[in-house]
Amino acid sequence: MSLPKDTYMFEMVRTELIDAVGADYVNTGDSDRFGHSIDYYWIPEMWHDRGRETKKPDFVVHPGSAEEVARVLKIANQYKIPVVTWGGGSGSQGGALPVFGGIVLDTKRMNKILKIDEESLTVTAETGIIARHLEWGVNKRGYSTMHLPASIACATIGGFLAHRGTGVLSTKWGKIEDMVMSLEVVTPCGEIINTLPVPRHASGPDLIMMFLGSEGTLGVITKVTLKIHPMPEARKFRAYLFKDFHTAMSAGADLMRSRLRPCAVRLYDETETLTHVKKVFGMDIGTGAYLVFGFDGREKIVDLEMEYAREIMEKKYKGRDLGSKGGDLWWQNKYKFFYPGYMFHIPQAFGTLDTVADFAHIEKVYWAMKKAVNENFPQARFIGHFSHWYEWGCMLYARFIFEGKDVPQDAGEAAELYNRVWDVAIREAIANGGVINEHHGVGLKLGRYMKDLYKNSFPILQSIKKALDPNNIMNPGKMGL
Amino acid sequence: MNIDKFNDSIKACRFCFMCRHLSGVGNVTFREADTPRIRAAMLYGVTLDKSKLANADFIETIYSSDLSAACRFHCVNSFDENGMVLAARRDIVEAGLAPADVLEIAKEENSTEAKPKISGSGDVLYYIDPDSAAVASEARAFDKIMKRAGIKYRIAKGGNTGKVLETLGFAADSAKKATEFAEAINKSGAKTLVTPNPAVYDSLINGFNSCGVKLSPKAVHASEFLAQLKIKFSKKAGKVYYLESDFLKNYNSNLKFPRELLCKLGAEVAEFGTNSEESYSCGEGAVAFDKLRPAIVEKMAKYVEARADNPSSDKIIVASPYTKMQLSKHSKLKVCTLTELAADCL
Repeated sequence: MSLPKDTYMFEMVRTELIDAVGADYVNTGDSDRFGHSIDYYWIPEMWHDRGRETKKPDFVVHPGSAEEVARVLKIANQYKIPVVTWGGGSGSQGGALPVFGGIVLDTKRMNKILKIDEESLTVTAETGIIARHLEWGVNKRGYSTMHLPASIACATIGGFLAHRGTGVLSTKWGKIEDMVMSLEVVTPCGEIINTLPVPRHASGPDLIMMFLGSEGTLGVITKVTLKIHPMPEARKFRAYLFKDFHTAMSAGADLMRSRLRPCAVRLYDETETLTHVKKVFGMDIGTGAYLVFGFDGREKIVDLEMEYAREIMEKKYKGRDLGSKGGDLWWQNKYKFFYPGYMFHIPQAFGTLDTVADFAHIEKVYWAMKKAVNENFPQARFIGHFSHWYEWGCMLYARFIFEGKDVPQDAGEAAELYNRVWDVAIREAIANGGVINEHHGVGLKLGRYMKDLYKNSFPILQSIKKALDPNNIMNPGKMGL
Repeated sequence: MNIDKFNDSIKACRFCFMCRHLSGVGNVTFREADTPRIRAAMLYGVTLDKSKLANADFIETIYSSDLSAACRFHCVNSFDENGMVLAARRDIVEAGLAPADVLEIAKEENSTEAKPKISGSGDVLYYIDPDSAAVASEARAFDKIMKRAGIKYRIAKGGNTGKVLETLGFAADSAKKATEFAEAINKSGAKTLVTPNPAVYDSLINGFNSCGVKLSPKAVHASEFLAQLKIKFSKKAGKVYYLESDFLKNYNSNLKFPRELLCKLGAEVAEFGTNSEESYSCGEGAVAFDKLRPAIVEKMAKYVEARADNPSSDKIIVASPYTKMQLSKHSKLKVCTLTELAADCL
């Protein structure tokens, strides 16, 4: 339900929202509404690029506490107004777009670090804090969250919780769901609840995991306690060039099967090695597949792990050693790709076909997606790297790119082309044992595949949604719910 | 339009999130609109449809930027969102769309005499602009140091370099002030022009250059002058927290001289807050921000206060009299300028 500004109901609701959070924190101006109408999803960006109006919220509210969030949700329930929770707006899936208007609940006013517990090594913070600010805050005391994604400068911690985000050190330190101790959540009906104080127990199903990844459809996460870690004494990287992607993948998988604990592993396919490694890292290494990994912690242990890892790379897979410099350049430039000038940009059409699978399936998924994109869209480029590694598999960060000349000027036609790429590629990934996706979330972009993915278990998700949010006010139209 | 010259930055910044954490105003208002990304996206809309420039809410947002240039300094490709906002302000003014509060400040600026009153003798001319004059201890401190060094100097008081007008988008009026100011200074025959105000420093270095005004004496910020002065400071400054100036650091990459001076004063410089990237200047880059957006400036000062290790006892050093004024007015922080610290160390 959208409330036009010239209606008396708009004023009635605005008055109630002001009562809930204060006049300074209810914005209805054009700039504010526009500011919450575009996230990092290509479709609204393209829509704006073509001069088309993007869907705006009616109200932008900035609650300062869980209590204020609860008041807003009660008002929204009363009038059955959609509520979309917005952190930093850096999501690439359209998860925070107010597609039906209503209220955007911007969490950034809830930005305090409440406690750093140096005995248990945890930090408790409000979830509207920008991740970089939280990281700086714990760094000052000699700790790190070890959650260092490229969107750290913009995304809030709440945003990462809402879509199960991950960072560049995830291979050792985990995704955000591995870092959470407990949550405070405001349910859609406005009740403030807390999960159990520790994440490991045998006291029934895990409520934390139910709210993580729910993308604002099951409530608003307002507070979190996360694990923190002492800054490592050493963090060292090394890179190798392999003759082809398959050999590099085998070497990477062996590294993980060895149960050494690299903090990061990245493997670039031959195409991305040619373009990305040279352009962003400034290394001209020739043809092949580039694999970089690192270890962190106590220096002696790091050196020992590195020694064992080098054995795998060099003796078994005959990788060409690019040395520590080849690895350090990756670490130093890890965010550079995301800056304008390096990042893909409109008029290009581009997307990240984020998929995760076990080692038994990941190469099949890669080749199937690549074939599907190449055959159906010969004008598109397909590149990929493998970003987040587990003992059992890894994440495929595949990308398709259309140059501007190949993208229709008409916004509707461009959107149609874009969606067809996803349809072809994602269905191929699912058919070959892949899961969409590892850390970008579902949002608006991938909602239509949720039934294909979950099959007959999807009604369980629908039932949970209905039980918690009977009026379907929370982020309607997202996640296929 | 003036913003057309910034098309590259508009297109680059409109969908970029890499400097969001450094949005000085966005971090206290929490508004997406107060971030480089959204300002750029809005201005892209203007390039497609010029009528959007007339939107009053949009204009208010453009004048709510603190212009710290922290984003440009941070950006690996130095995209100039800051320059883009200044260009948009010029477009707003040229279209006759400047809001009443902006016009009021511009009127006041236009009514002031551009030529400063100059007195004394010597090759060094110390310029006390109106902002610096409001912090009377600044000029007293400089005088104390110069007397100890045995250097005669002249003083220029009042005047107007056109910096406020330039920042608000009144380019022609600003250039006129700059020309008149430079005429008076050049006529004095001074060899070095020392300013305690980083905003004036930027005006003399970059503003004058961009409007083709030639200034004969070498313009230096007080920190540069004092860092190179042959004088012994007998007392050690001890532990201090230094807050960077937007104009020295982000506009002119001048990180060197304040640090050299602090080193000369025996200061142990501790990192303020949690990082060295955010602007803690309370809107110094927007020059008259305290007049234009006093409520935001107050919030920015509280934001800085909340990041101090010990707000009531930490020794906070700033390069800018403007920042000192705002922090002193809106927080309990104990703030002094580089010059004041230097005078205390004599």
